[in-house]
Amino acid sequence: MQPTTASGRLVDFMRRHPTIVVGGLLLFTIALAAVFAPLIARDPLALEPINRLKAPSAEFWLGTDSLGRDIYARMVYGARISLLVGLTVAFFSVLAGAVIGLVAGYFRRIDAVVMRLMDGLMAIPSILLAIALVSLLGASVKVVIVAIVIPEIPRVTRLVRAVVLSVRDLPYVEAARSNGTRVGKLLRRHILPSTVAPLIVQATYICASAILTEAGLSFLGAGTPPEFPTWGNMIASSRLYLQIAPWTIFAPGICLALVVLAVNLLGDGLRDRLDPRISRRM
Amino acid sequence: MLAYIFRRLLGVIPVMLIVGIFVFSLLHLAPGDPAAIIAGDNATEANVARIRTSLGLDRPLLEQFASWGWSTLQGDLGISMYSMTPVTTMVQQRMGATFSLAVTTMLVAVTIAITLGVLAAWKAGSLLDRAVMGLSVASFSVPVFVVGYIMVYFVALQWRWLPVQGYMPLSEGFWNWLRHLILPSFALGLAYVALIARITRASMLDVLAEDYIRTASAKGVATVPMLLRHALKNAAVPIITVVGIGVALLISGVVITESVFNVPGVGRLVVDAISRRDYPVIQGVMIIFAGIYVLINLMIDISYCFLDPRIRYS
Amino acid sequence: MVPHGDLSVLDPIWTTQNMAAYHGAMMYDTLFGIDADFKPQPQMVGKTDISADRKTYTFELRPGLKWHDGTAVTARDCVASVRRWQAKDGAGQHLFERVADTPVVDEKTFRIVLKEPYGLLLDALAKTSTPLCVMMKAEIAATDPNTQITKHIGSGPFKFIEAEYRPGSRVVYERNPDYVPRSEPASGIAGGKRVLLDRVIWDIMPDAQTAASALMAGEVDYFEVPPIDILPTLSAAPGVKIEVFNKLGNIGQVRLNHLHPPFNNLAARKAAQLAINQEDIQRAAVGDPKYYQICGSNFTCGSAMGVEDGSEVLMLKAPMAERQAKARELLKQSGYDGKPIVLLHATNIHVMNQTMLVVAQNLRQVGFNVQLASSDWAGVVTRRANQNPPDQGGWNVFYTWSGGNAASSPISLFAHAAIGKKAWFGWPENPEIEKMRTEWAYASDAEARRSVARRINKTMMDYVHDVKTGQWVSPVAYRGDRLRGLLAVPEVVPWWNVERYA
Repeated sequence: MQPTTASGRLVDFMRRHPTIVVGGLLLFTIALAAVFAPLIARDPLALEPINRLKAPSAEFWLGTDSLGRDIYARMVYGARISLLVGLTVAFFSVLAGAVIGLVAGYFRRIDAVVMRLMDGLMAIPSILLAIALVSLLGASVKVVIVAIVIPEIPRVTRLVRAVVLSVRDLPYVEAARSNGTRVGKLLRRHILPSTVAPLIVQATYICASAILTEAGLSFLGAGTPPEFPTWGNMIASSRLYLQIAPWTIFAPGICLALVVLAVNLLGDGLRDRLDPRISRRM
Repeated sequence: MLAYIFRRLLGVIPVMLIVGIFVFSLLHLAPGDPAAIIAGDNATEANVARIRTSLGLDRPLLEQFASWGWSTLQGDLGISMYSMTPVTTMVQQRMGATFSLAVTTMLVAVTIAITLGVLAAWKAGSLLDRAVMGLSVASFSVPVFVVGYIMVYFVALQWRWLPVQGYMPLSEGFWNWLRHLILPSFALGLAYVALIARITRASMLDVLAEDYIRTASAKGVATVPMLLRHALKNAAVPIITVVGIGVALLISGVVITESVFNVPGVGRLVVDAISRRDYPVIQGVMIIFAGIYVLINLMIDISYCFLDPRIRYS
Repeated sequence: MVPHGDLSVLDPIWTTQNMAAYHGAMMYDTLFGIDADFKPQPQMVGKTDISADRKTYTFELRPGLKWHDGTAVTARDCVASVRRWQAKDGAGQHLFERVADTPVVDEKTFRIVLKEPYGLLLDALAKTSTPLCVMMKAEIAATDPNTQITKHIGSGPFKFIEAEYRPGSRVVYERNPDYVPRSEPASGIAGGKRVLLDRVIWDIMPDAQTAASALMAGEVDYFEVPPIDILPTLSAAPGVKIEVFNKLGNIGQVRLNHLHPPFNNLAARKAAQLAINQEDIQRAAVGDPKYYQICGSNFTCGSAMGVEDGSEVLMLKAPMAERQAKARELLKQSGYDGKPIVLLHATNIHVMNQTMLVVAQNLRQVGFNVQLASSDWAGVVTRRANQNPPDQGGWNVFYTWSGGNAASSPISLFAHAAIGKKAWFGWPENPEIEKMRTEWAYASDAEARRSVARRINKTMMDYVHDVKTGQWVSPVAYRGDRLRGLLAVPEVVPWWNVERYA
């Protein structure tokens, strides 16, 4: 029996999709902290070497790092850039991949060329590509974002193209085509909607993977510049201190893991919800 | 079927060409001057210029690309600008380590993941299912190098069960080779468990819902052999697809693991080369990796023909 | 051992990378070598004869010197090697400007004939700062100095095992059984180089944490540059010993770009000089005060030329607030317009990364508008060579360090030259400094050199040639329970005299 009131439906939804709720709530809290960072923390860049590597205390809630900077402040501000990286990478790779995938899936003649290009791009190991780009163009948040976006595009393209291919010959699309609908409108109105669900799910996975990749790049020395905190570069620059000052790694590490977990849960939940086959079985 | 295989083989050529163009332009169009780095801190401008010429870096780009492309086709990937060793030799010396690490990691990841995936699918919806899936996602959420350090701290330093770092080739004994690879392959493998387990579970669920499975179960066929024989075989296709994707991701993951565990593999070679702008090495290794990736995907696509006759790409 | 870097170039003359110098000291030998008191002593040379007018030096090689391929070392080999070396070395070039000829007298004897007396000839041949004056076979030394050698045949106490060399990962040396060491005890790179180990393996590890763990587990015996923050953990591990072998350590220098505003203006440079806080930088980059010191000398505190005259302008004893106030005033005087200044920030080398972050804050605190251009070290090396204005690919500030030993000589280190656009990056220009540098080289003895150094230091301080960030030593961590006999030599890690005893 379906609940009738709005709140009743909401509770029912929460009960049936706990992953979406947990993931979403977690992300929301962290995003809030990121937005209100200046209100809840002091300057993350202020360094005071005499205070370096101090354990958590009343003054420094999560201790200080090797330059005497407040780790709690850097964590909160770090949420900004880490989330920014995750979200922009997800957004741009989905955007680019969707456009290319739509075009490739619909126009047979361009398809072969575009897919070869995408195959070529996929063949290059993504981390090497990223390191090379960052090393050659200089480290900045923009370059790191571009470096992570580029290897993600082919996968999204494939996804979108597969959907387009399966939808383009369906009766209602045929009908619209024979009606003389312009190509652009055809793509937008009739084909694009089918791609939205899998794209959203894919976007969440890309977001999670981007945040992790940023940490890996920082480890290899090709990440965002260390002046501005991201959880990734906080972990990477503190890796020497695992035994001497473990709080320098654990704080950002746990945060990173939580966010990635949250995003993954969200993605799983959304996929279960949006993919009718599986939710039926659940 | 042969026609399909042949067409796939032909398709490899334009892909490799694109990779070549991409890799070459990436390095040569972006700012960076290997000559200055090679010359060292105390060199004069004239010295740097002379080194630049001796490395052929001042020729027109198209000419450099053509000569590089042509020699690559003949198997000559050039010479490192630093150590004056041929790139192919350098890769050969280190391929064993990377390959060993990749294979053991894949084995670890696939074994654990498939077991977990099958388990979770079998008990779908239960606490076990959620726990297994949750755990695998959690293992994916922590960066590889953090996992690596923690493992080294406990297993190698505190309990002294395994060595901290390093690599021993098979020629030095099987156990010697294996014990140096255990920690790195687990640290890296755990990251892939989530991916493979998830797909295994999904495709197993698909198969388990099929009528013939329910019939077999109703007839009283024992669960485990049934799972293994019927379900797993039919779920093989998507699993192999994911393994193929995993290989590509593996190449990326290996780079980090090689640094943490000091495995002298190709990943470290190329990271060092990038930081020194050693163009021939960077180009050569990227081409080789791309080639391996393309080859593996080719083999996977061809294996589809045997596993599932229904699949044909137009 | 785990060295500080990778041995990627095997030609110790062609590059000035320190690793190449280490390699050179292992497999090659030198005519002279400095001892523990920094005095040049004969090594390959048996008899030295200096003419009365001090313009002709006659060297006779001692008996028993052989190349690794079995052939004997000849005077012709030595002359060819010295000529190749001087083409790439600062001290060597300074010397050879005054050399008339290098005739070979016979199989074992050759001469260096000078145009005028030059007191530092032996010191130049004996130095340990890169590039070392190593001896190679004549046909190998005939290689153009700007091309790498391809054959590696030395006459040193170790043989380089090329078959086991893995660039980026492993370098292997074996004892040279045919090496005839001198009879004196080893001291510096002089004296008898008696090899007591069969094999020495350099294991190149990119990750400091891994290297530290490996040392503690006993998988390696020697960790050359452990990050100072790890030292407490290392020293607590059983069997690990921490020791400082290079007491002169390293000197950090912030180079200001004299070609473009704001640092083409003396007042702005003085502002930067006062703003940069050595104590903060050292604490951030090095950490433990045991291992660093504040130094007011351009020539390495603790060395023969380590004078601190003129360092009052640094106001090292004054509180930071006072220094910053004066700096702000000076900056205003200079007419600084607030345009962003570009700091080249190398992120992949710990000391550089930490230092530049502190320098950025120091400069910001007195009113500079700082923009950090972060990249890896290779990116910095590329950009620092650019003499254009900062907004066209140039720069205003970059940082690096020099070995304390190398920096202690006003003429040997290229960074000390003040010849404008032809100088080292930063391109300072001051004819007075140049005059005094030449004066230093010609001074009659150590005392005279010291007094010239005093004047040079004061001038460099007043002119703000560059800004020093302090001096620190890099202790070595090794298995004291297995190795003994390690020698303290600056800028080279010698493995003769070392033995395993457990």
